[in-house]
Amino acid sequence: MAIITHLLLKDYFQQNTKALITFHFLKDVLFIIIAGLIIRFVIAKNDKRNINILEQLQSSTTEIKDSNERYDIVAKATSDTIWDWKIQEDMFVWNKGIQGVFGYKKEDVGTTSTWWFDRIHPEDSLKMSVKLYSFLEQKTERWQDEYRFKCADGSYKYVFDRGFLLFDNEGKAVRMIGAIQDITKQKEEEQRLKLLETVITQTKDAVVITDTDTSENPIPNIIFVNEAFTKMTGYKPKEVIGKSPIMFAGPKADRKELEKLSNAIQKYKECFIETISYKKNGTEYWVNFSMIPVTNKDGEHTHWISIQRDVTKEKEQQSEREQLIRELTQNNKDLKQFSYITSHNFRAPLSNLTGLLNLLDDVPVENEELQEILNGFRRSTQLLNETIDDLVKVVIIKDNPSILKESVSIIEIFENVFFQLSNQINLHKPNLKIEIDPELCITINKAYMESIILNLVSNALKYRSPEKTPKITIKAFDKDNFVNLVIKDNGIGIDLEKNHDKIFGLYQRFHDHPDSKGLGLYLVKSQIEAMGGSIEVESQVNKGTQFTLTFKK
Amino acid sequence: MLKKVLCVDDDPITLMLCKKVIIKAAFSEEIIFANNGKDAIDLIDNFSSHKNDNQVEMPQLIFLDLNMPIMNGWDFLKQFQENYAKDFSKTKVIILSSTIDPSDHNKAKQYENIVSHFLSKPITVEMLEELKPLYS
Repeated sequence: MAIITHLLLKDYFQQNTKALITFHFLKDVLFIIIAGLIIRFVIAKNDKRNINILEQLQSSTTEIKDSNERYDIVAKATSDTIWDWKIQEDMFVWNKGIQGVFGYKKEDVGTTSTWWFDRIHPEDSLKMSVKLYSFLEQKTERWQDEYRFKCADGSYKYVFDRGFLLFDNEGKAVRMIGAIQDITKQKEEEQRLKLLETVITQTKDAVVITDTDTSENPIPNIIFVNEAFTKMTGYKPKEVIGKSPIMFAGPKADRKELEKLSNAIQKYKECFIETISYKKNGTEYWVNFSMIPVTNKDGEHTHWISIQRDVTKEKEQQSEREQLIRELTQNNKDLKQFSYITSHNFRAPLSNLTGLLNLLDDVPVENEELQEILNGFRRSTQLLNETIDDLVKVVIIKDNPSILKESVSIIEIFENVFFQLSNQINLHKPNLKIEIDPELCITINKAYMESIILNLVSNALKYRSPEKTPKITIKAFDKDNFVNLVIKDNGIGIDLEKNHDKIFGLYQRFHDHPDSKGLGLYLVKSQIEAMGGSIEVESQVNKGTQFTLTFKK
Repeated sequence: MLKKVLCVDDDPITLMLCKKVIIKAAFSEEIIFANNGKDAIDLIDNFSSHKNDNQVEMPQLIFLDLNMPIMNGWDFLKQFQENYAKDFSKTKVIILSSTIDPSDHNKAKQYENIVSHFLSKPITVEMLEELKPLYS
């Protein structure tokens, strides 16, 4: 404009130089004023805008500060362990949870993601890293995972980890923040429940769970059955759920038992019954049926658990067993009677023989041969009498397992036995050595004990060595609650290697001795055992035999 | 010495033995015999119907076997207790048997008022010597 004005007015003002100078002056002044006004307007406008921007900037800084503070507070307050990973720099920051929950010392906590990965259970790490990388590559929208994380002490905790990503302007993931929750307790509880559940699903016993509503049926309706139930009855779950177990009862079901069950159910009491029940295909089976009330935390009765077992086989076996026992008892009774009758039948003529021989004692016999024959009769009759007496004793012991016991002095028993054996003792003059405390008593049946000692001492005399003076040592001593009796001789002995199992058997004879009946030791053992004692033997051929008897005091 | 004893046994040898031993021990003046419980009851019944006849004296003691045909010792005891024990309260029974059945001893206890002894055969002079003072 200045140039145009200058060109237009140049000719006009060529004649009037003074006017031209004035005009220029005025024009410049005007121009400066206008430009100044324009500049001022522009500056004022910008200024206002700048103030706005500054204010915005200031407020957003405060927000960030606040937000950071809030993050810190939350990270501190939460029981979760928070981690913050600057992905490109691989800088990994943990909050205090890593110390509190996992027991790491501050200085041991690593600052890279490797430290984190290294502490993930090897069995979980592969699956976990696959999921994590696909999240980092933004193929998935969310990331959360369960894995086991190693504690400072080497043990593992089950954790639940959730994370989210922060992006830069270009949409690239630059930071990831995660929160780890310790779920070990839940996990363990879960496993425990799973284990308990397997008991129900895997057990061979049928398990039935019912509700508690008895308005329709005395036995409430089924809400669950396990596989074993289906196997046992043939009913699938859907065929029985919502129905009462009363449907398994049939014509042969035990009404009394069922009544017992419904009474127990009314009183919320557990109950066990056994009854015939029916499978889906109509087959009868014996079921052992328990019904147990279940309550919730508040003690309210919520369900019944019923455990059922097919006991048909047991029942059959039981009735077979009972039948067998009945037969055996009868057999035993018959045999006992038989043994009484036979011994009576033996004894009757034998007692006559004995009586008659007694009468002969006073009849003088002149004929020497007759006397010899009579002596033979006497000897044989006596032996037969002894045998039958022993047999009778055995029969009686076997028939009377419980016998009268009393406290008896041991020395007294031996005195009685020596008195009975005085003839033989005088005849063989054994070297008798007796070591018995006169005070020592023992709770036994006196008659049995005398019979036992008589048998053992007379055996020691009977089976003496022909080359040696018989020597019999008898000892009795108590040890703890037991009394031991030892009877030792230096006789011909028994070959135990050959005969150990037979020595106390019936009709076992180890010596070709005319008086040996093969009954004595069997009787001894029977009598000892009838009194709750035991007997052991040690013996060497031509050296001697030792019997050790043990009784409870 | 006793006046009269009755021996009840089905075995003639036992009866013979009884007789000889009783005589030898001078146990009784008179011995009568019965072959089983039934015979013995018949004898006693006879005594009972002649109770007032002094000539027919009831035996003071009965030696009784248990195992006998027709009527055994237990049935004899039962009948004796039911029908005659009251009239002949002085008559005692000694069981003389070869039994080993322990239940026999328990059974005998039911007849405590009649059965005074339970002896095992054979009868011997020594046995009678011991019994003698109890019955004379």
